[in-house]
Amino acid sequence: MASGLETLVVQTLNGLQFGFVLFLVASGLTVILGILDVLNLAHGELFAFGAYASVGIFGYVTGAIAAPVSGGIGTTIVFVIGILAAIVVTGLVLIPVGVVLESVFLRPIYERDQVYQLVLTFALLLIIIDVTKFVWGDVPIRTNSVYSGINQIPTSELLGITFPTYNVFAIVLGAVVVVGLFYFFARTKTGRIVRATAINREMATAIGVSTDRVFTLVFALGAFLAGIAGAVRVPPTAATLEMGTNPLVLSFVVIVIGGLGSLRGAFVGAVVVGVLRSWMISFYPPGEIAAPFAIMAVILLVKPEGLFGTWGETA
Amino acid sequence: MSPGLVDRDGETHVRVTSGLVLSKRRFAGLIAGVLFLFAVPDLVRVAQALDISFFQLGVIHRGLVFGFAAVGLNLLLRHTELVSFGHAAFFGTGAYTAAVAAVYLDVTGLLVLLLLATALGTVMAGVIGALSLRHTGLYFALLTLAFGQLLYAIALGQSALGGSDGMPVRPGEANEPLLFGQALGDAYGVVTYYITAVVVLVGLLVMWRIINSPFRYALDAIGQDRTRAEFIGLPVRRYVWTAFVISGVYGGVAGGLFAVFRRYVTPDGTLYFLQSGDILYMAILGGFKTLLGPLVGGVVLIVLEFVGRSVTPYFEFLTGTVLLILVFGFPEGIVGSLGEGGVFRRAVGQTRHGVASLREDPSVAGDWGRRIGRGLRQQIDESLTTLRVVLFGVS
Repeated sequence: MASGLETLVVQTLNGLQFGFVLFLVASGLTVILGILDVLNLAHGELFAFGAYASVGIFGYVTGAIAAPVSGGIGTTIVFVIGILAAIVVTGLVLIPVGVVLESVFLRPIYERDQVYQLVLTFALLLIIIDVTKFVWGDVPIRTNSVYSGINQIPTSELLGITFPTYNVFAIVLGAVVVVGLFYFFARTKTGRIVRATAINREMATAIGVSTDRVFTLVFALGAFLAGIAGAVRVPPTAATLEMGTNPLVLSFVVIVIGGLGSLRGAFVGAVVVGVLRSWMISFYPPGEIAAPFAIMAVILLVKPEGLFGTWGETA
Repeated sequence: MSPGLVDRDGETHVRVTSGLVLSKRRFAGLIAGVLFLFAVPDLVRVAQALDISFFQLGVIHRGLVFGFAAVGLNLLLRHTELVSFGHAAFFGTGAYTAAVAAVYLDVTGLLVLLLLATALGTVMAGVIGALSLRHTGLYFALLTLAFGQLLYAIALGQSALGGSDGMPVRPGEANEPLLFGQALGDAYGVVTYYITAVVVLVGLLVMWRIINSPFRYALDAIGQDRTRAEFIGLPVRRYVWTAFVISGVYGGVAGGLFAVFRRYVTPDGTLYFLQSGDILYMAILGGFKTLLGPLVGGVVLIVLEFVGRSVTPYFEFLTGTVLLILVFGFPEGIVGSLGEGGVFRRAVGQTRHGVASLREDPSVAGDWGRRIGRGLRQQIDESLTTLRVVLFGVS
């Protein structure tokens, strides 16, 4: 069953690609939850906002750089670098958004009842949806040139299977971000300070860490990752107003599977959810929606604290 | 003990039933509220004559049923301090149960449909509660939202349930559920409204009983400190689960009422997580520290949304902004702010006091101005420092 095997491989890779996007959203959400103790319901809308913003940035880049013609290695490299730059710029655009949201809206309510921060992030969700609608309109917008441009580069054909090069690109990019994120939290001083704050807020303050700064930094980092995720997600699909909900809810599933605030757990959870969802699409379509939730329910019954427990001690 | 007038602390109070003793003012308010509730269909006709577009039976009914679900949510929120973000799950379960029973099981009786909706809502609350209550705090909120979205996705994906188009609730030849075997014809909307009003009143009375029972104090204790509650021998898990199921029952009933009134259910209108958010919003808007707050909040929010929708396509921005103002300015909600010790009472008291002292000595106005100026300068200084800390890391 060569074709069956090929389907399996292709679907696994597709799932991996979606899993990486999901990880980018879920990691921001889980780190914000672990450190700020805030469930950011507006996180999915930051993802959607990034997707919309990226369309314009992609448009600018593809307008300035010609799509690679097959065979031309120089133009190919320039094009890929251009697209990478566009994705990073989208993330950077989201940073000030995150800083403003955290310092203006969230900071005054850390001390209050949890219900207020939930309705606050819900209010931000409603507002961001309408701001997006106001700026980009009610119709889905696409950017086809990026997807088709990158797909002209032959990669998977070399192995004898048909698989869009863009997805390979997205997987590689996702893997790089994952490694970078783990490096940041495990090796850099700032990352260690963030983790120290997660483990014990009072102690961190006592040794001179400004928790205000850490909180803003973490929220901005979450927004940055969500922006990148939005930009990566747009080319094969489209930017729509509803696109924020699904990653948000699946991120919840990922957090439950991986464990509250655990980065490693978020990674494992995201890959599991992404791949499983993708398998279901080709082998048992009705199970696509239910499968992630089924795993979530099992994890809740068997290991309620999630696969990797609490984050902080290790990255 | 029979109803009548009683004397308490030197003031005349009205006893409605045993235990329910109200001051004269509150009793008058209660009577006015009940009268208003039952007068809505007549007032709607007046409003139509006066061309007031938002005062429609459908709008008020929608506000009432969603507010009723919020009353249920409030039991959990107010006493156990658990924030459920998935109450639309029970609302939607109730609504879809009514629709499925009517379409596939040929149930024609309106009251039977309501009973089935209540029963299925209860079962759903039992299952989701058993799974979600393994956690508390934000984790619990996250789980309820996830389970709610699961139900939404199921309703959206099943062609038997009509997918994203939803499905009608139309048994019988008259295209509507029957009451005691009778088709209601033109009176259908008004009669279902009256049924809703009765159910809402009974539900409020039951909730009032619950929050004046020892059970409520047990929940309060659990909400304040779980470990201590366990130490004094309270069966914490069972009690919280029971509270969750009770609050789910209110959602199921509300969903059933919604379905039979509308005669059509859609996943977006009943199960979507924005509806869960709205239900929570209503509780906060009306005042979640009060019994009636969520119901008032429900009607106010739905009317606000209706008016907002007709004014601007960006009504969600509008409701979001109102919510922000609420969180920062009026955390006690409408009913909480109007009540004793609320923001309004205090503001009125302060204004009265201010006017009196101004009359005595007009020079206090200068003092006030100086005080406001000083406060403002302090605020600006503080925000500049914050900005500096955020940007450069030095204070």
